[in-house]
This record gives sequence, structure tokens and C-alpha cells, in this order.
Amino acid sequence: MKKDTKLAFWTWVPDIQKEVDLFQAKYPAVKVEVVNVGQGGAHYQKLRAAIQAGKGAPDVVQMEFDKLPSFTLTDSLLDLTPYGIGELKSDYPGWVWGGVTPGGKGIYGVPQDTGPMGMLYREDLFTAAGLTVPKTWDEFAAAVTAYRGKNASSMLTNWAPSSEANMLALFWQAGGRPFSFDGAKNVKINLTGDAACKKVTAYWNDLFKSGNIGNEPDFADAWYQGLNNGKYAAWLTGAWGPVFLQGTAKSTAGKWRVAPLPQWDSSSPASGNYGGSTDAVLKSSQNPIAAAMLARFVNTDEKAALTLANEQFLFPPSTKTLNNPAFADASASFYGGQKVNKQFTDISATVQEGFQFLPFNDYAASSYDKTMGKAIGDRGDLNAALSAWQDDLVQYAKGQGFTVAS
Amino acid sequence: MRAETLTQEAPLRQHKKKVNIAKRRQYAAAYALSMPFMVMFALMIAVPLFYAGYLSFFKKQLIGGVSFVGMDNYVRALTDPSFLGGVGRMALFLVIQVPIMLGLSLLFALILDSGMLRLQRFIRLGVFLPYAIPSVIATLMWGYLYGKDFGPFAQLAKALGLPAPDFLAGGNVLFSIMNIVTWGFVGYNMIVMYAALRSIPAELYEAARVDGASEWRLAWSIKIPAIRGALLLTTIFSVIGSFQLFNEPNLLRVIAPAAIGQDYTPNMYAFQLSFVNQDSNYAAAIAFLLGIVIMAVSYVVQLTANRKERAS
Amino acid sequence: MTATLADQVAARSNAGSPQRRRRSGKSTLLTVVMLLCLVYFLLPIFWLVVASTKANEDLFSSFGLWFSNMNLAENLHNVFTFQDGVFGHWMINSLMYAIASGFGASALATAAGYAFAKYRFPGGNAMFTIVLGAVMIPMTALAIPTYLLFAGANLTNTVWAVILPSLVSPFGVYLMRVYAADAVPDSLIEAARVDGAGEMRIFLQIVLRLLVPGSITVLLFTLVASWNNYFLPLIMLNSPELFPLPVGLAQWQAASAAGSGSQALFSTVITGSLVSVLPLMAAFLFLQRYWQSGLGSGAVKA
Repeated sequence: MKKDTKLAFWTWVPDIQKEVDLFQAKYPAVKVEVVNVGQGGAHYQKLRAAIQAGKGAPDVVQMEFDKLPSFTLTDSLLDLTPYGIGELKSDYPGWVWGGVTPGGKGIYGVPQDTGPMGMLYREDLFTAAGLTVPKTWDEFAAAVTAYRGKNASSMLTNWAPSSEANMLALFWQAGGRPFSFDGAKNVKINLTGDAACKKVTAYWNDLFKSGNIGNEPDFADAWYQGLNNGKYAAWLTGAWGPVFLQGTAKSTAGKWRVAPLPQWDSSSPASGNYGGSTDAVLKSSQNPIAAAMLARFVNTDEKAALTLANEQFLFPPSTKTLNNPAFADASASFYGGQKVNKQFTDISATVQEGFQFLPFNDYAASSYDKTMGKAIGDRGDLNAALSAWQDDLVQYAKGQGFTVAS
Repeated sequence: MRAETLTQEAPLRQHKKKVNIAKRRQYAAAYALSMPFMVMFALMIAVPLFYAGYLSFFKKQLIGGVSFVGMDNYVRALTDPSFLGGVGRMALFLVIQVPIMLGLSLLFALILDSGMLRLQRFIRLGVFLPYAIPSVIATLMWGYLYGKDFGPFAQLAKALGLPAPDFLAGGNVLFSIMNIVTWGFVGYNMIVMYAALRSIPAELYEAARVDGASEWRLAWSIKIPAIRGALLLTTIFSVIGSFQLFNEPNLLRVIAPAAIGQDYTPNMYAFQLSFVNQDSNYAAAIAFLLGIVIMAVSYVVQLTANRKERAS
Repeated sequence: MTATLADQVAARSNAGSPQRRRRSGKSTLLTVVMLLCLVYFLLPIFWLVVASTKANEDLFSSFGLWFSNMNLAENLHNVFTFQDGVFGHWMINSLMYAIASGFGASALATAAGYAFAKYRFPGGNAMFTIVLGAVMIPMTALAIPTYLLFAGANLTNTVWAVILPSLVSPFGVYLMRVYAADAVPDSLIEAARVDGAGEMRIFLQIVLRLLVPGSITVLLFTLVASWNNYFLPLIMLNSPELFPLPVGLAQWQAASAAGSGSQALFSTVITGSLVSVLPLMAAFLFLQRYWQSGLGSGAVKA
């Protein structure tokens, strides 16, 4: 780490330069170039293109949990086991660690942030409608109907058509494990045979059919407005949601509260993870040691990790940061002084292990859009759409040479 | 072209050797002048095309790697509902949008050319101005205007007690896209046609005008036939543009994901194949088939135009 | 562009038949109808201006086609300071790409168009046909092959990856070929040959002058095409400092939907959009008369 080294770091975390500066202060010989090549889709497209071309790829790259397996499949990521990352294992909840060790072989990223799901809701609107916070999904469904009954122009919540990651988190919560991948050529695709996935799908099918929840695309302008003007009284989202909402629905400050997701079995609370990412090292990196150090440092150095959590508002994956009073005890006036971080820390502890993503999650998401998403948008038959999604994924996987089990 | 004949005829009268030298000199000049462009053309377009053509005969699987498959990708495309659906949708787009757009352009061009307008320059510029807006920004703007809750049309409808129009619903969104394209390109086509109208020699219709023919009559029997070339050019470019539609639907997808699938247009489908399905081999085959469709349609357009000319 | 040139071109394009325009009477009715049509064309632009003055919240709560709380100054401030003022880079890049591609493309097209129009040489027609045919194949789908080739030449993520492909304008060649056929009399070339002028001298000293109006039209078209270019730079460029405006703005727009770490930048994107279309709109205003000059002199009659 003394030798002059240059690292390229692709990430879309706003102002991550702060953490990188801490790293460079400690290792002045390493020059890090932070590049934001684009959020989401564009980021991965460019990464894939650079990998395929064999040049131009960065050393360290931000990578969401659900994308990791598709890059280990192409053997593009460096196994960080030899670089001592394994010793971090005990710092993370089991499900987080599972996310960076797809298929159980090798460690392919350092967790950066997570998104255990909870429910953000408008306390004022709930009170006005005479509702208490639903603890179970049955209560939630009842609340949806009751709320709609009192508000002709607004709805309890919205669920977007392009919501694969979000829906998988609900499957996850319900105990669904529709996918697996052994790291070689065997995948399991079992959406229609998995009781939990079917249960969740049938549940939402009824909600959409009732017309009492919204089906608007999320993160689009109309949706933002819906959260701003009370068109929607609740948002089921990941732990990164609270701060996000704070920045986009300013006019509703003080009216929101946080609660856990409604439960299927209230005796054993559970949640699923929606979103969040890791920092991975590319196999093509000329400086793997420095790259691994960078990925490790920005996410695990105490000060860097706390800055990520408190200034960039990424929900921290490590139990150390989660339990750090500087993080856990913060209260948010937007949420009426509630200790939002503490809430989600508790939720994070209820996320179960063992959920896996397909090694072609990009395709799975686009296939979801044209089956499930279409049904959501049209308020069509979601149960049939689940079968259609299953069939389409199986067909694609076979076409790509996988051995498919269900 | 009439220009080419002269360079041949003139030297004929001269000595043979001299002819050859002159000819060789002209060849050299012709190559020297066209080569800079042709070299860039070869590097930037032809080579990628050939490379893509080569790729289209292979198949690359996530498991199992690359294998030669001959025409399989092409055969697959011909039964692929995503590709065929996209081509069909673009054909519909073409049949509806292009006549409307070019009709408006022609109408405006004729009105401008008639000289009957006040504020002529202002109006001409106003209609042309949308062409200055990148399609990325145009789609962003129309996306807001189409908004079901806060878009001004919806707000206006609500104020009047009417149901808000849903421009982004499945059945409407194609027309909403047509509107964006029409908005952006009426002015451009108008300028092309107007320029052609302005270059019609006045003698052609001064006589008719003296005889008391109306502006409409002049337009129909003299002006429009006289700018057939411009009309054909704009039609062919519109055909190409329609089939290659990408930016507008791709960006509108963000706010209308249920109505606009990722295979909404052939170009979007090819893009998805490349970047999401990781199947650039098949994407290349799709691109070539789409190119063939475009050529065929352009050829038919040209043929129809020529037949009409012969008939008249 | 000098004043004399401007006058020349203007004179050319008006040379058609000045008398005939004077003849018909002005129609107020037609003018009013056209002004109503104009509302359609200008409404979205008006919306953009109005929306640029609004903060995020007002964007979604006030009437879209009229002003609310004035927030333009802050929006502008955000546009030019967000991410260390990268927007300024984007403007300069767009300008540079547009000028380099525009002048380069029109120079190449002018020379090639003239060659195709005025010389019959082996392969000439074949080349021209191929050039036109290539327009039919959508480059979007060839993104990956093109990217791989550029990567092979170490050109991805450089300004060349944007400029070089934009230098090729088949439409420009087409336009110049037709234009040259019309605007350059064969007798002129022949006379120069008889005088013993070399082919290159004929082109540079005699022909080029006559081709200028056409070249300017091609220049304008390629300028606009380059200014609006989105897809190619999107795939070729990684560093935001190299982005042109549309790519950068689209990236900001996407930042609001990125899940964790997202920011809602609607008012910034909208104000940035307005700022980014202003230069081209201004150019349209000032260069209005050049638009039809090249197209008009018979270029599209062929």
C-alpha cells in the first residue's frame, strides 16, 4: 500500500468522495478516481460492455446484491477471500453475508448498504381514517378497504408495476425461496411451486382487483406527488426509504411514522430485503490488493461507515454501525421525532437467511415487467402472470444453457 | 444525372492518349475528394456493420459459450412475437403518423409560400423551433404535460369537471408518442418543403395565376407536383425514422412501464437483447432484418412515387 | 461566417422570384389560424420556461402552465453547482462536439458530394448507393459491436468516440451531391479545364464558393444532430466530465429512481433542460435564413 497506485471506482453514491478522502488520507500513495457512470441500468450496461471489451473496466465497482450473481457467473468479480475480507463475516447479519457469498462459494463484495423492508405511513391520515397500524397482512387488507371507504380520491398505498426487487422482498419475507444457483450451471426456478410466492401473489392479486390500492409507476413524477399530497398514506419500502422520502415530500414533514411490515405470522416477525448494494472488485484489476482495501475501507472503517450512514444516509449493513449510538439514537423530526434508524435496525434483525437471486437478474426483472408488471398495470390476473413469469424464466435459462430445476 | 455526361463527351473529340491522361486525372481527383468521407464511412459504419453481420451468425450462451449457428438467429427472429409485434406497431405508427406529419408540413409550407400570412417569419420560426429540442428533453416535457394528476391537460379537465385523459394508458400511448414525434418534426419537414417550393421557377405558374387560378388550385396542380422530390425525400426519411424509433418510447417507459414494454419497438427490443438479455448476436440479426424491412418499405415508397409520375 | 457571406446566401435564397410574393393579398384569417397552430408548437416550450421557475414541490402542486413561487435563481444555482458544477462541462462539451462534428461532417460531405455529382469514376455510383443504403440499418442495435471496435482502438471514453462517428453524414453527402449537380455548371468546370487548371484547384478555387450555401445547410443539420446526440455518447462515455448535455441530464433524471442513494432532482433537470436548449434556439433565431438556402437551391428537387 506504499507503492504509487491508481484505482478507478465506479459508484453512484452521492458524495462518496468523502469516504474516499478518508481512505486517501490513510494511504496517500493510492490515487482513487471516483466515477459516476450512471445509476442503475446504465451503470451495469457500461460495466458489462467494458468487461466484454476487456478494457476500461474499473477496479472497484458498486454492485447491488441482486446483480452480484450475474457477474460471478461471468467470472468477472474477484473472490475477496484471500484478501482477508472473510474476517468481517461476524460483523454482519447472516442474510447480509449471504448476499455477498452467492452460491456459498467465495466472497464477492463488501456490503455497503441494505434495505430491510418496513412500512412508512402518514399518522395523521391513518388517525383521520380511524385506522390503527396494521400488524398482519390480514389487517393490512382490511385497512386498505376501510381507508378507501373513507377517502374516495386517495388510497392506503401504491404498488408499482416495475417492482421485481420489491416483490421479491415480499416473497422473501413470506419465506419464499423461488430461486437458487449453484455457481456453475444449475439454477432452480420455482415461483409457481413455492407456496409462499403463490400466497403473496394471490394476496396482491386481490388488492389490485379490488381497485383500492394504486398501481402507478414508482419514482416517477406522479408518484412523488402522490406521496407529497396525501394521495398515498403508506409506502412499503426498504430502510433507505425514510431519508429518501424526507428529501422529496418536504411538505409533509412531521406527519410520517415508521412501522414494521405487516406480518404473515405475527409470532415470528420477518422481513425481506429490498435494495442495497456492495462494493466489489473486478477480476481484471491490476491492483487487487489496493482495490480490496478500498472496498473494505469505505464500508468498514468506523468513521467512513458512520459518514455513509449519517451523511449519505445509506442504511448500514454492519451490526457495529447499526449499534453505534451515533447512528442508532438519532431521531428524525420528519418522523415526529421517532428513532427511525433503531426501528429499521430491529427490522434488519428479523430478515431471514437463504434468499438467492438468479444469475440473470436483469433478465428476470425485465421478464417480470412484461408478465407481473403488465398484470399490475392492467389490474389483470396476477396469479396467471406468476406462471407466465415462471415459464419465461425457465425458457430463457434453458436457452442460455442452464440446467433448470424447479 | 445530367452532370456526368459532359465529362465523358467532351474528351471524346480529343486525342485518345490525352483522353486517358485527363480521365486518369479526374479519377484521381474524384477519389481524392470522396476518400476522406469514404474512409470515415468505412471505419465508422461499414466495419461495425460487417462485424455485426459476422456476429449474427453465432450464438453466445451464458453457459456453454459461443457457437456457430448459421441462419438460426434470423429464422428465430421471423417467428419472434416481440420482433414481429414491434415491426407491426411501427408499421401502424408509420401509416398514421407519417401522413399526418407530412400533411401538416406540406400544408404549412404551402401557406407560407402563398405569401398570404402576416408575421410570416415569426410563424415559420415558431413551427420550426421544436426541432431545436433534443428528443430526450422533448419526451421529458411531454411526459409532464401528459401527467394524469398534475399535467396541465388533466388539471384543465378537472377544472371543467371532466375525467382526466390518460395519455399514457396502453391504448393511447402510441398516439402520445406519435404526437411527440409530430411536434418535433413538422417544422423540419416544413422547412425542407418550403425551401423546395421557393425554388420553383415563377414562370411555371405566373401564367396560371394571370388566368385567375386560386392559390389552392395552384398548389394542387403546379406546386405539389413540382416538389415531388422533396416530398419523396421527407417520406423516406420519415419511414426510416419511424422504424428506428427509440428515444421517445424508451424514455416514456419510465412513467408508463405497463403500456410500453421493453420490446415496444424493434430498436428497443434489439437494445434490450444486447444489454439486458446479453444476446448481442441475436440483436445484430434483428438489426439487419429491420434494415431489410426499412429498405423494402422505402423501395415500395419510391416505386409508388415513380409509377405515379409516369402515370401523370 | 462573415456578413458578406450571409448577404450572399440570403440574396441567393431570395433570388427565386421576388415579384410573386408581393402579389397575393395578406389574409388575417389565415394568420389567426396559423397562430392558433403555433400555440401547439410553443406550448411545451412555454411549459418548460414556467416549470423552470418552480421548486420541486410546486412542480407537482401548482397549475402547470402558469407561474407559482419564483424559484428560478435557486434552480439555476443548483444546475450550475450540483456535482461540482459538472453542468458547465456538459455545455462546453456539447458545444465542442457540435462544432467539431458539424464542421468536419460538412467538409467531408461537401468534397464527397461534389465528387459523386461531377465525376463518373469506377465505383462511384456503387459507393454512393452503399452510403445511402447504410442509413437504413439502425445503429442502436449495433451498439455492442461498435463499442467493442472502439474499445479495441482504445477510443471509448474519449472525445473521439463521440466526434469520429458524427463526422459521417450520409444525408449530408446526399444533399451535397444533389446540390452540387445543380449549383455547379459543367461549363464552368470545363472552361477551367481548358484553361489548364488542375482538378483540385478547380474544386478549391472555383467550385467551393458555389457550394457554400449547401455546405452551410449540411453544417446546420449536423450541428443539430450532434447537439441532440444521445445514444452514442451514452454507451461510449463513462466519465461525466465528457458527457454532452442530453446524456448528463438523463443521468440526473435517472438519479431520482435509483433506490438507495437516490435524489429527486426534478426542478434541477427541468431548469437544466431549459438552459441546454437555449443555445440552439438562439442559433435558430440568428441563422434562420440559412436553413432553406441549401435546401432551396434545387437540392431537394432531384
